[in-house]
Amino acid sequence: MEDRIKRIYVPMTESGFYILYCLQSPQHGYGISQQVKRMSGGSVVISAGTMYGTLSKMEKDGLIRFYSEEEKRKLYQITDLGREILDTEIRRIERLYKNSKGEDVDA
Amino acid sequence: MRKTMTRVFTIADYEDEEIWLREQHQNGWKLVNMTIPCFYTFESCEPEDVIYRLDFRNMERSEEYMQMLKDFGWEYFDQCMGWLYFRKPAAAVESEDEGELFSDNESRVNLVSHVMKTRLLPIAIIFLCCVIPNFVKFVSGAYVGYAGFFLGILFAVLFVIYVVLLVHCGTKLRRIRNKYRMGTGA
Repeated sequence: MEDRIKRIYVPMTESGFYILYCLQSPQHGYGISQQVKRMSGGSVVISAGTMYGTLSKMEKDGLIRFYSEEEKRKLYQITDLGREILDTEIRRIERLYKNSKGEDVDA
Repeated sequence: MRKTMTRVFTIADYEDEEIWLREQHQNGWKLVNMTIPCFYTFESCEPEDVIYRLDFRNMERSEEYMQMLKDFGWEYFDQCMGWLYFRKPAAAVESEDEGELFSDNESRVNLVSHVMKTRLLPIAIIFLCCVIPNFVKFVSGAYVGYAGFFLGILFAVLFVIYVVLLVHCGTKLRRIRNKYRMGTGA
């Protein structure tokens, strides 16, 4: 993984993480926000400008790619690089979670 | 019925402008359009709590962006000098972030940085490369005759306007940026 990409995305903002997570299957911006709202029980809300900005940036950095277009709505999907970042983040969050419960993690 | 109001908001005052437009709508005045530099035309309407939001896109405005804002419930109604104007009834908002265009501090900081780079920087460059040299020329008496005198006065006035504008916008934009940067812990 490129150092530059790693520096930008690890650790990731909460919105960034949810967006990348949702794009494991193709979605457009509004669809992602609805899914995030549902899965987080309404506690994570990503607004329009943040969604658009994050998608543009992630596409430019190669974490996600254009999938198809439906009535002016662009659908995106995660790339191999994006998946690598997502897995790195998930491992980091799992470590945080374990440590927060007082458990040690193996090297 | 329509009314036109004159009000000056600089590139650093967009958050104040949003509040002012919301108050107008609560008082039964709905913004129809803006005319450069500072004229606001309102139309009378039923008083309603409507949230106004401005986004600075400069000249970049894709169909995808406009569609996404619409999907999120924002009504686009006008643009002025690179700023796009959106509104959404407060009743349609379930949580605070749904009433915002930006839900995290990173994207709020990006907006301020974008405004600084594409608006504040050019003003500063014009000030340094054009207004100051001409103002100095005027003070040192290089302008002669009536035409020269009026040209000199013009640059003196511009000098004052630019100083006020740069100080106001520079400090205020930095203050907004710092406010959101603290939130990110960066």
